[in-house]
Amino acid sequence: MSEEQNQPAVRERDSRYYLGLDEWMKDPEFQSYVENEFQSSPIREGSEKEEGWARREFLKLMGASMAMASAGCIRRPVQKIVPYNKQPEEVTFGINNFYTSTWSDGQDFATLLVRTREGRPLKYEGNPQNPFHKSGLSARAQSHLLSLYDPERLKGPVKNIFNKDRTSRDTVTVKWDEADDAITAEIAKGQVGILTGQITGPSQKAVVLDFVNAFNASHFVWDGLNQDALLKANQKCYSTSDMPFLRFDKAKMIVSVDADFLGTWMSSTTFMSQFAEARKLNHSSMNQLVVFDSAYSLTGANADIRFRIKPSDQLWVLMGLAYELIVNQKKSKFSEDKDIINTLQPFAKAPERLKISQNVFAQMAKDLWAVKGESLIVTGGLALNHAQGEMVAIAACLLNEALENEGSTIDSNHLMLGMTASDTNLIKLIEQIENGQIKRLVIHNQNAVYASVLGARFEMALKKLDMIVYCGDRVDETGRMAHFVLPDLHAMESWSDLEPVDGVYAIHQPTIRPMYDLRSFGLTLMTWGYLTKKGPSRFKDIETYYDYLKTIIKDEVLQKYAKGKSFDTFWDELLQKGFVALPDFDKTGSKRKLNKLAFSEVKPLNAGLEGLQAAASLDLELVPYATIMFKEGSLSNVSWLHELPDPITKICWDNYAQISIALAEKLKVKEGQLLDLAVNGKQVTLPAHIQPGLHDQVVAVAVGYGRTAAGQVGNGIGQNIYHLGQLEQNQIQFSGQKVTIQVTKKDYPLACVQSHHAMEGRQIVAEVTLAEYLKNKSAGLHKHHIFSIWPAHKYNGHKWGMAIDLNSCTGCSACMVACQAENNIPVVGKKYILQGREMHWIRMDRYYVGNPSDAEIVFQPVMCQHCDNAPCETVCPVLATVHSDEGLNDMVYNRCVGTRYCSNNCPYKVRRFNWFSYTHKIDKPLHLALNPDVTVRMRGVMEKCTFCTHRIKSTKIELKTQGETYKDGDIKTACQETCPTGAIVFGDLNDPESEVSKMFFKDERSYALLEEFHAAPSVRYLTKIRNNGQPNRHNESHS
Amino acid sequence: MPKILLSVCVIVLASCDFQWGIGYNQGYSPEQPIPFDHSLHVGKNQIQCQYCHNQVDRSPHSNIPALSTCMNCHNIVKTESPHIKKITEAYNKGESIAWVKVHMLPDHVKFNHSAHIAKGVNCQTCHGEIEKMTQVAQFSDLSMGWCVNCHRQPENKAPINCSTCHH
Repeated sequence: MSEEQNQPAVRERDSRYYLGLDEWMKDPEFQSYVENEFQSSPIREGSEKEEGWARREFLKLMGASMAMASAGCIRRPVQKIVPYNKQPEEVTFGINNFYTSTWSDGQDFATLLVRTREGRPLKYEGNPQNPFHKSGLSARAQSHLLSLYDPERLKGPVKNIFNKDRTSRDTVTVKWDEADDAITAEIAKGQVGILTGQITGPSQKAVVLDFVNAFNASHFVWDGLNQDALLKANQKCYSTSDMPFLRFDKAKMIVSVDADFLGTWMSSTTFMSQFAEARKLNHSSMNQLVVFDSAYSLTGANADIRFRIKPSDQLWVLMGLAYELIVNQKKSKFSEDKDIINTLQPFAKAPERLKISQNVFAQMAKDLWAVKGESLIVTGGLALNHAQGEMVAIAACLLNEALENEGSTIDSNHLMLGMTASDTNLIKLIEQIENGQIKRLVIHNQNAVYASVLGARFEMALKKLDMIVYCGDRVDETGRMAHFVLPDLHAMESWSDLEPVDGVYAIHQPTIRPMYDLRSFGLTLMTWGYLTKKGPSRFKDIETYYDYLKTIIKDEVLQKYAKGKSFDTFWDELLQKGFVALPDFDKTGSKRKLNKLAFSEVKPLNAGLEGLQAAASLDLELVPYATIMFKEGSLSNVSWLHELPDPITKICWDNYAQISIALAEKLKVKEGQLLDLAVNGKQVTLPAHIQPGLHDQVVAVAVGYGRTAAGQVGNGIGQNIYHLGQLEQNQIQFSGQKVTIQVTKKDYPLACVQSHHAMEGRQIVAEVTLAEYLKNKSAGLHKHHIFSIWPAHKYNGHKWGMAIDLNSCTGCSACMVACQAENNIPVVGKKYILQGREMHWIRMDRYYVGNPSDAEIVFQPVMCQHCDNAPCETVCPVLATVHSDEGLNDMVYNRCVGTRYCSNNCPYKVRRFNWFSYTHKIDKPLHLALNPDVTVRMRGVMEKCTFCTHRIKSTKIELKTQGETYKDGDIKTACQETCPTGAIVFGDLNDPESEVSKMFFKDERSYALLEEFHAAPSVRYLTKIRNNGQPNRHNESHS
Repeated sequence: MPKILLSVCVIVLASCDFQWGIGYNQGYSPEQPIPFDHSLHVGKNQIQCQYCHNQVDRSPHSNIPALSTCMNCHNIVKTESPHIKKITEAYNKGESIAWVKVHMLPDHVKFNHSAHIAKGVNCQTCHGEIEKMTQVAQFSDLSMGWCVNCHRQPENKAPINCSTCHH
């Protein structure tokens, strides 16, 4: 590894943007792949003999059955209409109802508007008024809906009958009464523990507390992606482990060390929305993001300046930066502080060790000091799960204190109340079970047997317990160990509440009746209180969780959030608006007291070795990371998430070992070759993925895969790597462990979509540096002089168009899932993705730029461009795709005969052919998630983005029936609505005042893809700006 | 031999629960589980269409009334009729009546009642003289040609994009 290689990526760059290494190397195989739009014939393919019908036989058979069919002149089957017995007041057929609710996966949260139709939820939308993420949602939040209709959810309580050693079990159904009696008889004996995830709602908190008091139980809070190191650091630095709320919107410069705050770290949807807000160019200055990345994270992809590091570098980065700021530049309140200077001394040679130029550090420290009080240093995530993780977090506190961020970008006046989960808690629980202090355990929905480094030990410990009750939605890895599995209600079936940050309270409404014989976790606990006559009156006497929630609101919430208001008014307002925020919520401040002594604990790991020697170690380090799809491994049975390609690697349906190009060359490994990884004597075999921009000494592997009891979709996808971690001196060691690689000769196909729908090397993404942009607002764009001998089409009414700001797009891929949910897009599975048959109407292109070993990333969402001179329309022999008088490129499924000419002729490769009747394979009740406004397509038709034409249609009709006229913003496409950064804007191009018109026609950054073809697309993109302090990018996009 | 084949065909087809007829469904008038008489309710008793089909002005679909709507009157009116008894019984049990659908659009077509009502199109324009029908029959052929004929008239100012109906 030479010194230059670890410089910021901008220093030596190639001007080309490329989809992957195969394109970079001009691999002939890649070229033939690109040229061959359809990989294989549907008739001839398939391994099974029956599938291999020759076309001729197929046609013969078809002919015969056609003759049979026409003989009888059969028309439509008789259909029945069954009206309601009593008309529910709120149901109007075919009209959406929206309910305010919330979503949370423990770390990330959202306030929702749930769209329901005739009593069933169809789609989550963000509640546009909320102060966190506007109408934006993450891909995971969108996908959570599908878990409601999961056919493999438990339909009633079950009991596991074990053999003596609890190695095998029979799962039998049981009645609620029977289960309750057996459980209460046990837990009444005492020595009870309760393990839950992070609890953010006051009512949930109260009910668990009531249970704890009633049964004298011990409560343990744990979560797969808990912020153990940060909590410990907070405790040491501020004597309170509470997490403050972060304000990325107030930060002008952000330095992140392995904290993937745009992807998987804490409240990423909110952070993303805040980050994008501070990045909009209409502000006086644009923020700057510097990322030190062990695995290539989504945050790293959005960095202005990105450095690849290995986990053991984390501490050096932060302390090196602190040394530069405090000692070298003598800035900040600590510059005279002897203790702190002494603590920083061992890190004097950090730049040398990190092989990053001293000047870069100096500049960074200078820049940070220039915006002191408006910067933010963050660290966290799975990569901090090692012996020094806590110190890294303390170092971040030190820098934030030195830069005076406490109280401004770090808002400890508003704490993230629920963030209490930690591995320490799980360790404590296991120890208490092992030494017999706890004999009975209630677990709420935390799959600790699977999603923890301590999983195996936890499983062993569970075998010692007299009674285990698991409240989850299926018999998963942890549920298999439980005596009783009592199915909890799905979030969409239950009442609850959410207080994600001190100062905002949101109500969680159900949107469907419980589909099966289920009971909410809260009510389960209350029932036990009732049966044993234990606990406070509200706990043992109230009969429903709904009433319990109301009591809590009356007793606790009303006081805090609506002093003086009557309960009824507050309740009505709450249901209507979805949340209530204290008026001073936006005012940041600090109420923590710094304990400076904590800083002196920070020491390099090998204190005896001087920095450079320590760096000489060439050990490979393991970097476990979470993906935006599965995080710690929940929602594994949701097919939308498996089908969603990872935004960085663009691989779906698998996890893999990511290694750098140099390491791959050294090991002579090809993409997809299986590697045997050994960590601590434990093994796992994973396919290799060669990832540009990775440190040469890391092996990055995603957690959350290799589930064994997730369900039919999620089981056996990828490999579980949690067992590679270990517990050492009461500290989980997972990240940064030494890995040895044994290369096997076997290959494994990875379903990577990055080279599908490629543009044959035509560059369609535009990116410039901030300096260039300030000099010339249309820098990086090559304007074409376009003329046509034909007059342009006239659009007299509306002319729909879209503008996409690449500078806001973070590549989070939420739009892809939103589109999938909205438009009934089928999931095709790995086999067909390998053949290039994925069906997503909107794809997220990921381009690498610069030197492959240290590449930067640019994202670009591409959907049908609705060209005015659409090349697809002229070649359709049956007029199945034609233009509307509002500028839409209509696709008529009934006319389509599947010639696929249109797709061949589309320069943007946005048309998708439906090869099989995927929707016929949808198991009940998953069909309930289908959107009735959008046609479910059959095989043999072409489909593509419609600009959500059904939304345009229904809004226009609604306005018409109400006698109103259209105004800007009335119609939002699904992708636009869900985008947490507001990168996508849709509207009427004929209205010069509309937001989209302003971006489309007036913004100097606006460009159309392949403009010189004069397809005249109705979608334009705005150039991405990279604020990396560089004068220029030496390239010109061909727009 | 041909005779056997023919009879097999007849038996096979007769046993299927399909409608007969060639082409469009115009004139299709299936027997309903309860012989609801539009000519009596609308023609003679002058009940407004929207009393029962109350969502037609705000929904894409014209709703078949819930049983509770029937019971508004039939709590008192003609309670002795065996057909009304059937409704009362279903209503009290919390059940419903499975009516046979008459108007069926071809697949992949979306029709919106409320838009047409807002425009002032009469029910009878498409559904015929419903007030004279004892058993509802399909009046128009509901073919694309029939739709487009109306949409094409300049005075109607109706859109004729494909996506107007197909999406």
